[in-house]
Parts: sequence; C-alpha cells; structure tokens
Amino acid sequence: MKRSCRINLSRMRKSVSLAPLSLGLAGIFLSGCADNRDDAQLFTSIDDCTNGYPGLRDVCTTTYQQALKDAEETGPKYDTEYDCEYDFGPNQCREENTIFGSFYMPLMAGYLVGNMVSRRPFYQPMYTSYSRYSPLRNRWFTPDGLDLGDIRKRNFKVKRSIFDKRPFNTSTLKRGGFGQMAKSSSSYRPSSRGWGG
Amino acid sequence: MFKIPTQERSHWRSLAHEYGFHFHTMYGEPYWDESAYYQFSLAQIENDLEAPTQEIHQMCLHIVDKVVNNEVLLEKLAIPSAYWQSIADSWHAKDPSLYSRLDFSYDGKSPAKLLENNADTPTSLYETGFWQWLWLEQKVDTGGLSRGADQFNSLQEKLIAQLAKIARHYQTDFMHVTCCKDTVEDRGTIQYLQDCAAEARIYTEFVFVEDIGLNEHLQLTDLNDQPISLCFKLYPWEFMQREEFGQYAVNQDIKWVEPLWKSVLSNKGLLALLWESFEGHPNLLPAYFASDIENIAKAKTAKAIADLSLNNKWVRKPLYSREGANISILENLVDTCQPQEQSLEQSQNARAKKRETRARQKTVLHESDGPYGEEGFVYQAYHPLPKFGDNHTLIGSWLVDNKAAGISLREDKDLITQDLSRFVPHVIL
Repeated sequence: MKRSCRINLSRMRKSVSLAPLSLGLAGIFLSGCADNRDDAQLFTSIDDCTNGYPGLRDVCTTTYQQALKDAEETGPKYDTEYDCEYDFGPNQCREENTIFGSFYMPLMAGYLVGNMVSRRPFYQPMYTSYSRYSPLRNRWFTPDGLDLGDIRKRNFKVKRSIFDKRPFNTSTLKRGGFGQMAKSSSSYRPSSRGWGG
Repeated sequence: MFKIPTQERSHWRSLAHEYGFHFHTMYGEPYWDESAYYQFSLAQIENDLEAPTQEIHQMCLHIVDKVVNNEVLLEKLAIPSAYWQSIADSWHAKDPSLYSRLDFSYDGKSPAKLLENNADTPTSLYETGFWQWLWLEQKVDTGGLSRGADQFNSLQEKLIAQLAKIARHYQTDFMHVTCCKDTVEDRGTIQYLQDCAAEARIYTEFVFVEDIGLNEHLQLTDLNDQPISLCFKLYPWEFMQREEFGQYAVNQDIKWVEPLWKSVLSNKGLLALLWESFEGHPNLLPAYFASDIENIAKAKTAKAIADLSLNNKWVRKPLYSREGANISILENLVDTCQPQEQSLEQSQNARAKKRETRARQKTVLHESDGPYGEEGFVYQAYHPLPKFGDNHTLIGSWLVDNKAAGISLREDKDLITQDLSRFVPHVIL
C-alpha cells in the first residue's frame, strides 16, 4: 500500500458536523488518543531524584532549586505559627522572610518534575500535611491546594496547567522583529494566502 | 496517467467544515476540486516519480554539502554573509529536516522534469496528507472507486514519525509553531502540523511570526514570554535573514524546522547548481544563473551553445520566489548567446546596436506579477506542463525523512501554476 494505513480521524475533526454523521462521532469515543496529559515524577529531595535519574543530576538540581524559589513566592503563607501548624502539622512550618514580608510557611515536602528528559523541564513545589485536622493529610498537593493523591504515589499523569508557572521566565523587551518582509510583499498576494510555495 | 471525471461526494462541504478545512474555496474560486481525479499506474508512480524524487533529493543534499563551504556559491545564491557560518553549522550538526516538495512536470510517458524544490515552506500539506486521503477512503467505501484503488500518499504517517524523530533528536516533547497573521491557509497548515505533532506526543504552542519577541537574554519569546527553543516555522528563511530578529534566530539556544541549511535548497539558484553538477540527468532541465549566461556564451563551449540555442524558450525565475510569482516565459532569449539585458545596457557601438535589434526580438510570452527578483534570477529551459483538457497539471512530490512520501496535483488554466490553482486528488489503479 502506498498510502497511510491509518489516520486518527478524531484528532483531525475540528467540530461536529451539523449533518447527521453518527458514524463519525463514534471515533471520538473509541480513540484513546485524546489523552494530553504529561508524565510527571515526584521527588522528595535532589538525592531522591538522582537515584532515579543518575544521568540527570543537573535537571534534578535545577528543578529543585527553582521549585524552592517558587515555593517562597507561591507557597501557603500564615501570620502565625499556630495557624500554619494547624494545617500542616507540628514542626512543619518555619518563619520566612520573603519579598512579600515575614510569614510562617510550610516546608516544601517534595517537587514535581514534568518533561524530565527535555530541554524544558517543568517543575512545581509540592506539599503534604501531617495535621490530623487537614483533609489533605498524607496527600500530595500543589501550592494552590490541588490534591494529586496519596503521599506514597510518585508517578503522575498531569495536565500541563499543573505546572502553572513555567521555568526560566524573563520578560520580553520588544516584539515585531519578524514579519516586515511579508507585510511589504503582501500587496502582491491575496490576503488569505500565505508564504508557502 | 489519465484524468477521469467523477461524482463529488454530496456532503464534502459539510465534511470540510467538520474537519476544519476552511480554505477549500477562495475568492469564490474552487481550490479543492473533486469533480475529477488523476489515475496513475503503480509503475508510473514508483519508477517515474518515487525513485526520481529520492534520487534528486540526494543530489540536492550533495549540492548543500558543496555550497555551505563555498563563499562564491553562497554569494551567488544571494544568501546574506552574516548567516554563512550558521548555515554551515546547521548542516554539519545534521539538524533534522521535516519535509520538502519537489515540483515536476510529468505527462505519464516521458521522464518527470524537476521545475523547482520547495524545501523551506512547502504548503498544500493538509490537502495532500489528509484531505485527499479521506476522499479516497470514502470513495472506496461508497463504491465510487474500486477496492483495489490506492494512493501515493503516506505523507501524514511519515510526518508523524519524523516529528517524533525530531523531538527525540532535540530531546524535547515541546515545540513552538509559527506563521504569519491573516493567512487562513497557513494557519490551517500549522494546525495540521499541530495535529500531527500531537499524534507524535509532542506539545505545541502557537505564536504568530509578528508576535515573536526578544528578551534580555537575546532569546526569542512567545506571547507568554516563554523562550522559544524549538520552532516549526511557515515563514521563509530568506525573509528571516533580512529582518531585525534574524540574527537571534541562529543562536545556539534555538532550533528550527525547517533547519537553517534548507535556505540553500529553497533558492532557485539550486536549479543551476544541479545542472552544473548533474548535467544531462533525465529529470533535470538545463538551468543557468542569469549572471552566468554571458560568461558561458563568451566561453562558447559546445555545451552552452547547444543548451542556449536548442532550447528556444526559457523560464526566468527569481532566486527567491513563491507560489509562481515573478516568473516569465521568454522566447528568443539569446541569439548570439548574448543575454539581451546586458546588450541593451552596453549599446555603445555598432555591434551592440545589432545585438539590440536582436534583443528586441525577444518576446515575453508569459509573465506573472509579484514582489520577487531583487536578488537575481535563474534561467531554466522551458518545459511545458502537460495539458489535460483546458488545464496545465503540476505534480508536487513530497519528501519526508529522505523518503518520497506522496504526491499532490495542482491544475491551472494558466501556464504558470500559481496560488489560485486547483487541487485535484489522484489514485493508483
């Protein structure tokens, strides 16, 4: 056969037709290809990470440090030690001087890394609670409180949005350094056509 | 190779809507046309198109290897010198390419002749890889075509596999994709690549070319200020190389699909370089740099005289040109093997006057409008596209990962296939 054997039609479909095409619809549900979640691993320390990925010491270290830095910004903040320990358990909090002021904050219990084997790893500080008053006791959760499951769990399937803040952000200074040539040539082409050949 | 009229699928327009094929009709003119299809034999496909496509591709790679270390040739191709080193680096690093499309004139009988190589930003990808595939599947399913009908079209399958390979090469599963604003067709092509990337388990983020930014580390960024590290672009390298951010597009932190070395192949000067290296190849047409024609004529080599006088008609193509813009078909280009432009400029003596008279005999038979040509031209021997009914038919032959991946057929009433030509499906039977 000289043509593609199989094409995932559900992936290609952009809207449901107004015409009754019940056959076509079935594909959407039969296909398992709609899973757009990332594999992510949870580590409790740099060593925990390098044990699993000895070749990725740099990734383990950088993501840990970045997560720690993020935790300062995005982690839960309390005015009193009592309030913090109420949610996180005894000896789980300490006073931090952050750029926002002085607060009691829970210790980062681990960090979640996605896209591990890539140039762009994603990371997120993770928390757990040892407080018997907390519904999140022995659960992993993100700084904004999203419950990812039991504390024994290490491998996750997560949506990219879990990582919320992306790595190594700096602000953009200027835009518009591309596209002038297309603009200056555009009087010669119908506007909906592009630069393909 | 026949053209066979056939019934349109009654629901194809609603199907197009459903699948997001929004540019099947443009300016009230049909672009997708399924009122007929072309039929090829397997031998025609395999011997006359598939094999030459792969062979020419290898010849092209040979040319790249020759050009990247040769300043004279880089100069001739009008590639800005600021990019020479980066082009060589990209070639030596074997930065992977996704795809190319070779355009052929082929009538089913005589050898297919290469008209050009769209190596940087080839389009009509979606129509080829997906839409004509779906047409065939449905025509066969509804009994409109024999069960034995096949199509030369493994494009989508190969694109997905090659995208996965590229992602592995750069050790990532994330890539930016970009095209210009206000182009329904390009955005559609990008969407198709995003779908293929998703099948290859690669995440994509879209940004318009015009919205790309620059941060304090001199990295290019998207609208969320994310640095761009791997990017598929549907925007020509020759534009990027002449724009403000071009210099930042070639630093070590960023990789592109198509890679930078493709700017050697997407240049029409390639046609002249191919002819120089592989003169007489059955799938090539004689071609020369405009700037060389005079020298060749002066040298009066047997080859040059044969080429220049045997071929009565020539096609003049700008080094940089897309969608058939700025192409002229000329007759009596040379007479005493002297190009008319030079002789007009240098008409100081009687001989020149004589030549001028001759030059006036040169006839522009056909010309297409457009913005290109500043950087120079090549002349390629005229080889008419075969005619089926009122239409001239052009075959685009796709390459993915060095393998021939399928064909697309475009029809135009005009001699020069331009961007409003129609796309017609094909079968192998």
